[in-house]
Amino acid sequence: MSEPGLVLDGVSAAYRSSTVLHEVDLAVRRGELLVVLGPSGAGKSTVLRVVAGLEPVTTGRVLIAGRDVTGDRPGRRNVSMVFQSYALFPHLSVAENIAFGLEVRDTPRAVARERARVAAESVGCAALLDRRPGQLSGGERQRVALARALVREPDVFLLDEPLSNLDLALRVEMRAELRALHDRVGATVVHVTHDQTEALVLADRIAVLRDGRIEQVGTPDEIWRAPASSFVARFVGSPAMNLLPADGPVRPAGNPPPGAPVTETGRLDLGFRPEAVTVAGADAEGTPATVDRVDVVGEDAYAYLRLAGGEPVVARVPAARRPDRGAAVRIAVRWADVHVFHAGSGRRYSP
Amino acid sequence: MTRPDTRSRRQLALMLAPYLVGLVALVLLPAVVTLALAFTEYDLLRPPTWVGLDNFTALVDDPVFRVSLTNSLVFGLVAVPLRVLLALGLALLLHRRALGVGSARSAAVLPTAVPEIAYGLLWLWLLNPLYGPINQLLRTGGENGLTALGRTPPQWLTDPTDARAAIILMSLFTMGETFVVLLAARRALPRDVYEMAALEDATGWDVFRRITLPLMAPVLALLAVRDLIQSLHFSFVPAFVVTDGGPPPYATTYLSLFVYRNAFEYLRYGYAAAVTLVMILLTVAAVLVQWRLVRRYRAFYGV
Repeated sequence: MSEPGLVLDGVSAAYRSSTVLHEVDLAVRRGELLVVLGPSGAGKSTVLRVVAGLEPVTTGRVLIAGRDVTGDRPGRRNVSMVFQSYALFPHLSVAENIAFGLEVRDTPRAVARERARVAAESVGCAALLDRRPGQLSGGERQRVALARALVREPDVFLLDEPLSNLDLALRVEMRAELRALHDRVGATVVHVTHDQTEALVLADRIAVLRDGRIEQVGTPDEIWRAPASSFVARFVGSPAMNLLPADGPVRPAGNPPPGAPVTETGRLDLGFRPEAVTVAGADAEGTPATVDRVDVVGEDAYAYLRLAGGEPVVARVPAARRPDRGAAVRIAVRWADVHVFHAGSGRRYSP
Repeated sequence: MTRPDTRSRRQLALMLAPYLVGLVALVLLPAVVTLALAFTEYDLLRPPTWVGLDNFTALVDDPVFRVSLTNSLVFGLVAVPLRVLLALGLALLLHRRALGVGSARSAAVLPTAVPEIAYGLLWLWLLNPLYGPINQLLRTGGENGLTALGRTPPQWLTDPTDARAAIILMSLFTMGETFVVLLAARRALPRDVYEMAALEDATGWDVFRRITLPLMAPVLALLAVRDLIQSLHFSFVPAFVVTDGGPPPYATTYLSLFVYRNAFEYLRYGYAAAVTLVMILLTVAAVLVQWRLVRRYRAFYGV
């Protein structure tokens, strides 16, 4: 492994008496953009706050650029953070906001202002330098917060759901800019989000967090194609992956994975994405199902089906050839598109 | 829901009536009468006689009036900033949750809750030059009734300068309301802004100077003006109870005490009314400043 940018070594953290992080191990390479993804309350923000030193660890160590900073106060860790609320100083102009970190570190005023201007230019908010945060739109505030994080060249950037307060169009635009900015600056970034699209688009690697534990760390491709658990499989992807007992009604076509007779035991689950389901008329081969409801999203339609035993299955079909509500259909999937999980633990099954 | 109809408007008027009656009968009418009396000579026994601007020309020539005006202004300009600073210091010290903070907050507010006369009598004892605890404390380590530095301890009730200082000292501890407002204002400031400052390794002084103070400035300014207006009134009881306007020559005679003496001891009601008018003008000036501040901060923060 190349130079470590940030390492969490068995880090636990607690809020009041409840533990919110359970011995989290995480390594971020220098210059890597790692996205921490998880549902609300999974402890994503706590990961950032522990790295920043705003929250103490109960066990474990935090290393930044190879340096153990576990006992250091936030200001000594050389990290910068973009808060979800942006945390801009309302009484300072944009230029003063960006230069704040430099000025409290006794950088000469002229130098600080010049570097603030450069940072503002790099995120495209140089025209706003004399304004106050109250006069800015959400997207503009976001840029100012980014410029403030950039101006000091820290070892690690921590972004706490920075795009969640923006409307959809702006979020897509800022997402692309954030990625481009990272490619240009090459900084080590930890980006927290609950938005799976954002994670898949932005990340070099994704760490999926659930109830204070890491479920899986991997590239977006690995997370998508080889989810390590049924939780990851269902959390990433919309609508969520279908999950049915392996000895249930759906028997995939083709060659099953080698090893154990998957469909014979009741302790395994089959997962397959809505995209993998083929829907045919009632006279075709496959498992019979009825159509509960159909959501049309432009060219695509999502058919919410119900099998004879009551199990729900979602299928993506072309909007032009969508089945009618209440229609009887047959569905089929291929082994190649199926993920197998242990039913109890949810871990991925490997023969 | 649209504009209130006739019936609910009548109900609203009915509910407002007691307040309006009280305001007019107990505040506005007496104020107008006082205003009118300022141009008369009136001893509360015989009917008032019109004297035009005589009372005001007399005021300009009255050395006691000039002394009390100066005393009031100096008191306001010294005591008010000190009070606000003390309240701010305590608010910043006590805004966090910690052991004993609740009791400390109560202690800070307590002196404000003591009835004024009792508070005055308490200080009469505290300030006693011979037996008072303050001077006993100052004399510790010294000899022959002097302080440890060999100086005479302050003669709180007999020396003009010391007496003025005593009145200011007394007024400092009644800043409970100011403290409560500042405590609330500090607790309303966003936490993430302070976390941001911690990440930038800002020192306590930098945080105070660059964040806390500017963010609290609107509240501080308003409280200072409010206290300035109030200082015309809360100098009355200490001066009346503790120093009796003295020591000579009129060292702690403030405008309020001056008015009281003239109206009810010397029975020069018209003359007192003229001084009241001066106090009202001072108050109006302060309120104008307050308005300007509010407008400025509104524009500043875009609220």
